[in-house]
Amino acid sequence: MSGISRRRFLAGSIAGCAATTLCGTQKALAAGSFTGYPEGMGVLVDLTRCIGCRSCEAACNKEQKLPAPAKPFDDMSVFDERFHGGTQMRRPDENAYTVVNRYQPEGGGKPIYRKVQCNHCNEPACLTSCFVNAYTKTQEGAVVYNPKICVGCRNCMIACPFNIPGYSYSSAFNPVVKKCIFCHETRLKTGRPPACVEICPQQALTFGKRKDMIKIAHQRILNEPGRYVDHLYGEKELGGTGWMYLSSVAFDQVGFDTTTGNEPIIANVKDFLGTVPMVLAIWPALFTGFHLLAKRKDGHGHDDDHAGDHSAAHGEEEDKS
Amino acid sequence: MKSMIRQGIQPVASHHNGEGKSRKSWSLLEKLLLGLSPRQYLEQAIKNPFNWILGVLFAVGLPLIAYRFLFGLSVVTHSSNDYPWGLFLGFGLFAMVPLSASGFMLGTTVEIFGRHDFEPIERLALLNGLLGYLFAVIYLLVDLGQPWRLPYPMVVAFGPAAVLFLVAWHVATYLSVQVAEVSVAFFEWIGWLGGKRFVRRIAVGLTVAGIILSTLHQGALGALFTYAPGKVHPLWYSASFQWIHFFCSAIPGGLCMVIAVSTIVKKTMAWRCDGNFLDNLDRCTFGLAKGASMGLITYLAIKLIGVAHDNEWGYLGTGWGAWFMLELAIGVILPLALFAWAIHNQRVGVVRLAAFITVFGVVLNRINTALIAFNWKLYPEIPHPFEVIICLTIFAIYVVVYRFILYRLPILFAWKAVPVEAYETEPVTVQSAPALKSSVPAPGAVYRSID
Amino acid sequence: MKPTLSLHILGMALIVLLCAASGVAAAPTGGPGQVKLDRLANLFTAVNFDHAAHVEIAGDCVTCHHHTTGDGAGGGRCGRCHAQSQKSTVVACRDCHDVDPFSAVQLERKADDRYQYHIDKPGLKAAYHWNCMGCHEDSGGPTGCEDCHARTTAGDEFYQSGSFAPKAAASASHH
Repeated sequence: MSGISRRRFLAGSIAGCAATTLCGTQKALAAGSFTGYPEGMGVLVDLTRCIGCRSCEAACNKEQKLPAPAKPFDDMSVFDERFHGGTQMRRPDENAYTVVNRYQPEGGGKPIYRKVQCNHCNEPACLTSCFVNAYTKTQEGAVVYNPKICVGCRNCMIACPFNIPGYSYSSAFNPVVKKCIFCHETRLKTGRPPACVEICPQQALTFGKRKDMIKIAHQRILNEPGRYVDHLYGEKELGGTGWMYLSSVAFDQVGFDTTTGNEPIIANVKDFLGTVPMVLAIWPALFTGFHLLAKRKDGHGHDDDHAGDHSAAHGEEEDKS
Repeated sequence: MKSMIRQGIQPVASHHNGEGKSRKSWSLLEKLLLGLSPRQYLEQAIKNPFNWILGVLFAVGLPLIAYRFLFGLSVVTHSSNDYPWGLFLGFGLFAMVPLSASGFMLGTTVEIFGRHDFEPIERLALLNGLLGYLFAVIYLLVDLGQPWRLPYPMVVAFGPAAVLFLVAWHVATYLSVQVAEVSVAFFEWIGWLGGKRFVRRIAVGLTVAGIILSTLHQGALGALFTYAPGKVHPLWYSASFQWIHFFCSAIPGGLCMVIAVSTIVKKTMAWRCDGNFLDNLDRCTFGLAKGASMGLITYLAIKLIGVAHDNEWGYLGTGWGAWFMLELAIGVILPLALFAWAIHNQRVGVVRLAAFITVFGVVLNRINTALIAFNWKLYPEIPHPFEVIICLTIFAIYVVVYRFILYRLPILFAWKAVPVEAYETEPVTVQSAPALKSSVPAPGAVYRSID
Repeated sequence: MKPTLSLHILGMALIVLLCAASGVAAAPTGGPGQVKLDRLANLFTAVNFDHAAHVEIAGDCVTCHHHTTGDGAGGGRCGRCHAQSQKSTVVACRDCHDVDPFSAVQLERKADDRYQYHIDKPGLKAAYHWNCMGCHEDSGGPTGCEDCHARTTAGDEFYQSGSFAPKAAASASHH
């Protein structure tokens, strides 16, 4: 009996290993370095140009048919809003895919405005963390989301290093993730810039191929070294982002996380993903081996048919007594 | 129930009512009612004060669960865009799963390493595993935005590079494995030997599958947090070791949960336990405690290696560091010391106390990682009161289901008598094969001859 | 419309054409007196730009027109190439600065542009705003949106302001 079961078991584990290998290959491909589609589009956000007019917020609201805001888009009192004990500024959510926040740089000077939206990572954390592949990085460079297959685990929100995706928690029957999709459906696909870029009166947002945006950004730094900090945020951060930022002050002064490092989020997970095929391949033989060793030592032929049988034996004895 | 037994009523533990010629088979309803009349059953249920506590909790909690499903997560939780995961996952998923590692631990001990001296507690450990996972999934269902889409990663769309994809598949397959493992007791209870024989035959395969799946998804739950390197406080985060930290702490977590449950069982439902269970429980408890100690000391070592590897010593001087060290002191070092002393001095009571502390320590670690040390750069979030009540309610359902099964299926006691068909088809020959140890019941001759 | 006599007939003719095209009134200094900036009017009304008054303030053409008016581009970056540039055939902002700088056509054209210094040329809207607001900020001129152009009804709707302002009970956003 045990022979048959062992043979069956081995066949099963070989099939399992084969399946794992295939699965593992897929994973390896998905987890390899990806620096974005070469022709992917990007946006260069120049904080030195932004005047905080919130036109981009208004344009986004109209383009994405978002609900009416709590305050008009020309109401600048939103810049004074603070949340969670006065610690947090506004962030994108289900009602607003982009928000502008105002920062007062250290040592005085004019306030600096920073537009926040999805940065459309080359290797998005939301995408790699999603177990139903609801996210897609399109060839045009947008990170888009499929609400029809989203289960609502919200792992993408855990994973997003920029705290971008919002969730419609108040919906009971169709809650979904809401975030900037680079106006992919209505504009990007047909070669048009996103609504926020088009409306910006100051051209604080420059739209073009991501690779060209990098060139332009470095040219601006080169041309006006006194105007800019010599860094293009998003060029390398977290594997690179489609939206990149230039600033006149240190980035951590205007709400950027400067501790992200340049590896995409998935790089942190690779250590674990790498062990998966190993465990699947090694454990069956290892533990079956342990089992065989333990059995030999046993020497009672007392292997597979013990537990549970105690009932019968027990009962038998008691019945006889 | 105790008073019923005092009145001379024996709870169902076999297929037959009475002895000898007067024996007749219990009906399924009678089995469900433990051999009591419906009136008697109700009477003992009402007499139990614990049921009243449960009743109050359900009266508040069940409507709240309905409220959540009718009006969305926002009415009962503080889940937000910054804190997508609250108590439902922080406690329900991340803490319940490690506490359910007992299934594969004891399965491995008995089936793989051949330590049949742990058999008296094996079924309890398997059941503990099954129920823990089942309720982790139930917590998950309450938390998911669209729980009816739970099968999607299996059938509709695949995200194979996602750790959660592994978790989903592994938990689903492992749940099936555990159902199969526990089904042995169920088959005995309903009296279907064929099913039992089949499961016994594939027991080793199931167990090995259980080890693989457990290793991976216990680890995977930890690896989920490697998606949030900037959000989890560095002391609770380790890109390289997070999964090993979670896996390793699940070992003492699972073992100590079995000690904890067995302690409660011994105190509250000794009537349901047979001599084999009660007589061997202390010995098994020491055995489990030794295993848990090994797990704890390894866990402590790799936690410190984690701090050293990422050079996070500086954080130990901060408030976060103090909290981190407190977690380790209470959740790891204290039980470790208690275990060491108690095992040396053969004090089973202290072992049990240490086990409860370990369980608390593992839960604390998971809640720390998922909630307290999460978003340490942002702001703290306190769960909504309704969230806490729903968590407690689901836990109470878990306790009720746990108790329901322990009362009925032969987990704590051996199912008496040999099924009728076996009697008729095979002559019963009790083999004189000696058991490994006197405390272990002899293998059943009936199944041997059938095999 | 009273174009003044000038030796540059061709240039004159062009100005006349431009004036005719968009309601430009010429000023005695050689540039137009009033310019109606209406290419982008939509959410805001067209701007009636008093060119003559601004010429008085600026004192020269190069302050606003780079090198296109033939005054040279002075020193600095532009001057490296354009210090000796002759008066160009076009001087209006919109003749160089595109209304749609990020359209697919424009992006393609930019990609083919060998003059790499101009790959970052602002669009017309930015050119106006930078040129005006840059000076206004430094010299204390008006900088508010409606100081120069009134918001239209379409603008009120777009900014959900004025008669389109959200009701008080608008859904509060989650943070």
